[in-house]
Amino acid sequence: MSRLLEIEDLTVDFSRDGRVTSRALRGVSLTVDAGEAVGVVGETGCGKTLTGLSVLRMLPDNATASGRICFEGQEMLELSTRELRSIRGRRISMVFQSPGTSFNPVFTVGYQIGLVAERHLGVGRKEGQALVAETLHAVGLPNPESVMRFYPHELSGGMLQRAMIAMAIICRPSLLIADEPTTALDVTIAQQILRLLRRLQREQGFGVFFISHDLDLVGDFCDRIAVLYAGRVVEMGATAQLLGRPRHPYTRALLEALPGRAQPGAPLPTVPGAVPTALDDAPGCPFAPRCPLVVERCFEERPVLASVGPDQAAACHRWDAL
Amino acid sequence: MSSNLLELTGVAKAFPVPGSGRKRASIRAVDGVDLTIPQGRVFGLVGESGSGKTTVARCVLGLTPLSEGSIVFDGIDLATTDSGVRRRLRREIQIVFQQPMAALNPRMTVDNLIAEPLTTHHLARGAALRERVGALLEDVGLSATHLHRYPHELSGGQAQRVVVARALASGPRLVVLDEPTSALDIVVQAQILNLLVELRDEHGLTYLLISHDLSVVRHLSDRIGVMYLGRIVEEGPAEQLLDSPRHPYTRALLASTRGRGSTTLDEPPPISGEMPSTWDLPSGCRFHTRCALREELGRPTACETTDPASVTVGTRHFAACHFADHVRVAGGGQPGPATPAPDPSKGD
Amino acid sequence: MSVSLDSPEQLPEAFRSTGMRSRALRSLRRDPGALLGAIVITTLVFVALAAPLLAPYPAQGQGEANVPARDLAPSAEHLFGTDHLGRDVLSRVMFGGRPAIGVALAVVILAVLIGVPLGMVAGYRGGWLDEALMRTTDLFLAFPPLLLAMVISATLGASLFHAGLALAISWWPWYARLARTVTQSLKHEPFIDAARVFGVREPVILARHVLRNATTPILVQATIDAGTVILAVGALAFLGLAAQPPTPDWGLMVAEGRTTVVTEWWISTFPGLAIFAAVLAFNLLGDALRDVLDPRTGGR
Repeated sequence: MSRLLEIEDLTVDFSRDGRVTSRALRGVSLTVDAGEAVGVVGETGCGKTLTGLSVLRMLPDNATASGRICFEGQEMLELSTRELRSIRGRRISMVFQSPGTSFNPVFTVGYQIGLVAERHLGVGRKEGQALVAETLHAVGLPNPESVMRFYPHELSGGMLQRAMIAMAIICRPSLLIADEPTTALDVTIAQQILRLLRRLQREQGFGVFFISHDLDLVGDFCDRIAVLYAGRVVEMGATAQLLGRPRHPYTRALLEALPGRAQPGAPLPTVPGAVPTALDDAPGCPFAPRCPLVVERCFEERPVLASVGPDQAAACHRWDAL
Repeated sequence: MSSNLLELTGVAKAFPVPGSGRKRASIRAVDGVDLTIPQGRVFGLVGESGSGKTTVARCVLGLTPLSEGSIVFDGIDLATTDSGVRRRLRREIQIVFQQPMAALNPRMTVDNLIAEPLTTHHLARGAALRERVGALLEDVGLSATHLHRYPHELSGGQAQRVVVARALASGPRLVVLDEPTSALDIVVQAQILNLLVELRDEHGLTYLLISHDLSVVRHLSDRIGVMYLGRIVEEGPAEQLLDSPRHPYTRALLASTRGRGSTTLDEPPPISGEMPSTWDLPSGCRFHTRCALREELGRPTACETTDPASVTVGTRHFAACHFADHVRVAGGGQPGPATPAPDPSKGD
Repeated sequence: MSVSLDSPEQLPEAFRSTGMRSRALRSLRRDPGALLGAIVITTLVFVALAAPLLAPYPAQGQGEANVPARDLAPSAEHLFGTDHLGRDVLSRVMFGGRPAIGVALAVVILAVLIGVPLGMVAGYRGGWLDEALMRTTDLFLAFPPLLLAMVISATLGASLFHAGLALAISWWPWYARLARTVTQSLKHEPFIDAARVFGVREPVILARHVLRNATTPILVQATIDAGTVILAVGALAFLGLAAQPPTPDWGLMVAEGRTTVVTEWWISTFPGLAIFAAVLAFNLLGDALRDVLDPRTGGR
């Protein structure tokens, strides 16, 4: 299994007027192998989307990233813009949450997808359009030749998402970053899209970096999961292990808070408070103020991500109490 | 006077298709919906986009006039022209929205936002008003520190709590919950759901819950109705419907939302194809074009030719399918003999 | 997923939105253009108001002639020189600010007061009311503002007041359209639905929910328009359709000096610069206002 992506100690700071105003990611480390699906989950503001964008160096102007992001042997953070441009869309692709806003409304779908092929694969217009038709067929769109001539607003959400996936895979990337790809879709359509992604992944062998807030979804799709909290990875491991026996109180809190796992009408277990702001730099564990298992040590010493089982690691002093 | 707080009978809403000119084509977003909610109960209306559930909610709230049918609240027809009665109804029926930020005027502070229903109906003034607003804030788990904040200074969960507090301000009896937690994080969603359950018990509220999320619906509802393309295709007591669904669409929805193991992604999806457009409805049963059961049964002609009537499949459990007794969820649900559904307006 | 701030209780001071004044100061500091605009406007207004005290030759500023001193180039006694009637140009420019800015504000305020309510009601109700309003504004918009102003001035007689009136009549349709567009985009927002569900009456909905969220584009447009009106009044005055001599009016002064633009250049140039400065300043300020007024983007 070849290692596609290795993120090591990624830290992302936002600054304004020369001062650092917030630290959105703190020492995130992750890996993705070829053919593997890694899920990155967390709530709003945990930094999951930012991690995905960092891989592609698509950060806002006032953000600075430090650490290492190694993709297929190349240090992403050191590449020039030109070198990056040859990777984006070609070796690493991205699928976004809202298919409607990822397409330019004034061009046809076929034209836009064709542009990607022409630019990266160096093919001419005719060849490009043939490839587009083939790819649209591969993503399960009926009548690809007619679909190609549609404008984005003429397609339904599900069809548009398929088109976006087509745009992402047309150059056969090695890594696909999927940022909440099914959140904006109906559940029944989401199921179709997930199966499509799975099938494509099997056929083409790319790795998937799957960003989501939906634990059930990630549990279905991904081989491994990383749980982010306040810009840090608090738990990581093989899906079955992590969801079956979480070793971080936050992961457990997320699982317990899902209404699907509780008795109807019974109070759902929750944790008080809210996610800390991106500027907090208190010593100790970021989850301590809200943690049901907290002890003195949690406020003084920050737990590091350590192995808690075969293919599972958690950053918690009290992991064995779970 | 029935104990039903809300009764919808034959409700239909048609929207004209823009640009259809002389032909005056229209889309029937809601096409004949009957439902009743007894006082103090929760009815969960489930459906995906295009099902018409949001339109039903808007009709109940009086935001959209009906094309056909009637909505009766506590014995009063919502279409009444008596302005005094209409004002009263505005106090009694309230709403909690999906996007908390969009539901709050960005230029108003929390205290004014919550006070608005009270001042509109002249229910309190001055010190009494401030007291009531304070009490409402406490009810939803917020504090006085939030009073002078603007919506953009609140988190999603806090904003939703403000929306709930505001909804309760006029002392309503029926609250329409339109995807109340869909835009919230997992933990915040749990907090809001707990809050909603607590408030229902405390104030004896009746809820009409609109959602696409079956786990949320299951958690809150006593009774569930599943909508597809403007009709209720299955309706019944929550637990029964979810344990033994009798409509293929319900079955597919359940399969799409339950937590499951990773092997299922290698199996075909619970539903294939897309939702048909509302102006080009399939003949016969509206669901037949995507129905897995129809495939299983070798495509019986009835599905294409005849619109199925609602049949009784259990105690107060109805499904609109010709083959309701063949619907099985893997590993559960005993089919029973199907009988024609009794007429709901006869109070059955 | 909703985008939200997390636990505002813990927000550091840098993020806390603390009211209009600090937002205003923050955005002015950051945008040099806005700062310039604000300074120029303030200066012009102050000078215009305090003209009787500041002007070196107040009587001349208001029209008193001093023919022996005519056509003097800028010097120590007359910083901007004198015009054809010997009047100190600096003083006249100072006094000229009064009609210019005064009329600009009056025209804009009047146009807003007429146009905005009409536009809001039309945008909210739609239907035949909307159609009627749109066709009416079409009618007004078909006339070039200057032309309409000329017709009205010619009919009623040339004066600053009539010029202002004419401009207000030409201008209100723009605000009606603007208000209508903003109202239409707002009327489907959930918070408007909420107000309807509460039973809030339509006029209150318009005032409390629609108007308050529409103020930014309207105010920004009004500020920029103030500059444009100054220009328009200047043009009308130049044509003799607005202020009449001996009133000090920038446009009039430009007109008075037009035959000698090359030889006695200061007579037209300084009032022209004043117009330029005012228009530019209003434009810059309008941009800055946009940031200040929106509580969401204020100071960012």
